[in-house]
Amino acid sequence: MIKIENLVKRYGNTVALDHFNLNVKEGEIFGLLGPNGSGKTTAINCMLALLKFDRGSIKIMGEEMAPDNYRVKRQIGIVMQDVAVFEELNVRDNIDYFCSLYVSDKGKRKELVEEAIRFAGLEDYRKAYPKKLSGGLLRRLNIACGVAHKPRLIILDEPTVAVDPQSRNRILEGICELSRQGSTIVYTSHYMEEVEQICTRIAIMDHGREIAVGTKEELKSMIKTGETVTIEAVILAGEELERVRELPGVYEVRYEGQTLTVKCTKGKHNLIHILNFLNEREIPFGRVFSELPTLNDVFLEITGKQLRD
Amino acid sequence: MMHLIKYSLLTKLRNRSLIFWPLIFPFVLATVMYFSIGQIGEADFETVRAAVVADEGGELSGTESFSSYLEAMEESSDMMLAEEMTRKEALDALEKGEVDGIFYSGENPSLTVSTTGFAQTILQMVLESYMEGKETLEDVAALHPEGMESAVNQMGEYTDTVEQVSLGGRTTDGTAQFFYALIGMACLYGCFIGYSSAMEMQANLTPLAARRCAGPVHRLKMILAETAVSFGIHFVNMSLLLAYMKYILKLEFTGSFLEMLPAVFMGSMIGVTMGMFITSVGRMGEGVKIGIMIGVSMAMSFLAGLMNADVKNAVDRTAPLLNRINPAAVISDALYCLNVYDAPERYAQDMVILAVMCVLLTAGTYLLIRRERYGSI
Repeated sequence: MIKIENLVKRYGNTVALDHFNLNVKEGEIFGLLGPNGSGKTTAINCMLALLKFDRGSIKIMGEEMAPDNYRVKRQIGIVMQDVAVFEELNVRDNIDYFCSLYVSDKGKRKELVEEAIRFAGLEDYRKAYPKKLSGGLLRRLNIACGVAHKPRLIILDEPTVAVDPQSRNRILEGICELSRQGSTIVYTSHYMEEVEQICTRIAIMDHGREIAVGTKEELKSMIKTGETVTIEAVILAGEELERVRELPGVYEVRYEGQTLTVKCTKGKHNLIHILNFLNEREIPFGRVFSELPTLNDVFLEITGKQLRD
Repeated sequence: MMHLIKYSLLTKLRNRSLIFWPLIFPFVLATVMYFSIGQIGEADFETVRAAVVADEGGELSGTESFSSYLEAMEESSDMMLAEEMTRKEALDALEKGEVDGIFYSGENPSLTVSTTGFAQTILQMVLESYMEGKETLEDVAALHPEGMESAVNQMGEYTDTVEQVSLGGRTTDGTAQFFYALIGMACLYGCFIGYSSAMEMQANLTPLAARRCAGPVHRLKMILAETAVSFGIHFVNMSLLLAYMKYILKLEFTGSFLEMLPAVFMGSMIGVTMGMFITSVGRMGEGVKIGIMIGVSMAMSFLAGLMNADVKNAVDRTAPLLNRINPAAVISDALYCLNVYDAPERYAQDMVILAVMCVLLTAGTYLLIRRERYGSI
């Protein structure tokens, strides 16, 4: 569906996209994950033929993407990071306007607009003007305007920024529904939980490059961490801490404020080894957590920094 | 195309600030100017009232000649009304404000006023004029008694040698210049509508424009729809303003309404495209662009005589080219040609200049906003 090869985009001396590659297959919900300033929005704007780039090629639906490639543009839906609707038009007219850029048949458009209103849960706000809508409803209107014409490819650039949890869940459910209806989705975010929740494949970006691509399981398997064990209210001496480090599967130990955090490689009995050690030494402890690696761990291990830094 | 036009029209008509500057503001300004500048002429010519008290000393000859002079003044204009009274009546009238001053006639007439002002100044000038004439005749009598008869005749035949007429013989209303310049300014205020259009078409200016540019509508189609709507709205604005000035305020616009429309038509186009052009140049902030637009349109209007008609005349004398490339001045000049000069050649020249400006601005604006890919967003 989308094939980007060696895309380079510079702003003066700053390299925004550094030989960026991407391959999105039809029917996927593809997540583009990266911290702010990693180049996600620049990549999207290049894909939409809004931004000039220095090198590389972008093909969408098998065709070179260009500003005048209206055949391809007609099959794309775009939801911008910033809400982009007319303040002077009500909810229905806004959706109708953006739908009319793609669908000229008035009758068909009427059906599509009603469908988009239902999809976004805006039935009670048809006549409302954007300034009267809450942040969550405004975001939903923003999405409805981008998807009303039922495009084959939908690009959503951080659609849940500053949205309440209820609206966020509704938006994420809606995106999965669009995918079930046959659309290919490209979803950019710096919220790893969202990307983990809905995306079938993910590319992690940093400094204008894709640093890892795959399913979430594939990405997690790329790193050393298999499990992170956290034990609260435990008092350890220096010698005991050294013994924990020597336990099988343990490769990193942190002990701060009576909380022990142990990172283990992939293995089945990591937690048992640690708890057995504490029992043998009769060391009392509080709550125990065991967490599987997150995309943040993947990002941290590859780049040496947190995803939200 | 029709849906683009429909929604563009709706969004612009519902945007209050967009309607205020190009339409409401010129209406308000025209009304304010009408009630201030436009009424000065009438206020100036309010008749000055004076009482005349005959000299109690009984110098009959002096009393008669001064009274005759005042009578002649009353007959020649409505400027002054003199009424003979006794000293007591005159003083009472002055105290009650029924007269502006008291003339005491005699060999050496004098004037008494209770305050200072425009009316009192006129009475003073009347008296000085009489005294100068009297002294002249006395000099002639002493030095050239043989020419006395001729001198009296000449003074009696005195007429104002300066007569205000227009070249076309239509109007001499000096305040009309302000209103022509106001129309020029209002035309240029179309730049606010052009600004709004450009902001919604240039992907590097607003997210809304980026979303529109990402859509499958041909760029030229979008530009045409936006320009047509912006121009249409402003042309209607300007036609309403012109009709308001001509038919409601009843200003001395002696040219026909239809004759004035072409100047306003081109002026509207220039205003709208100027706004699009300024908005599309560079990546300055919105405030800076609006500031530039206000600055440019106000400076042009000032040079066209909006604040003081003499400014336009001074520019015409010192830098005539400036007034030929200043659209506000050319619009004002075109209206002047129609209403005052009755000079079709100069009017045609103005229209050609406006047409050239229109074409250049439209072409320049198109070259700027037709961009399809941007260096940064």
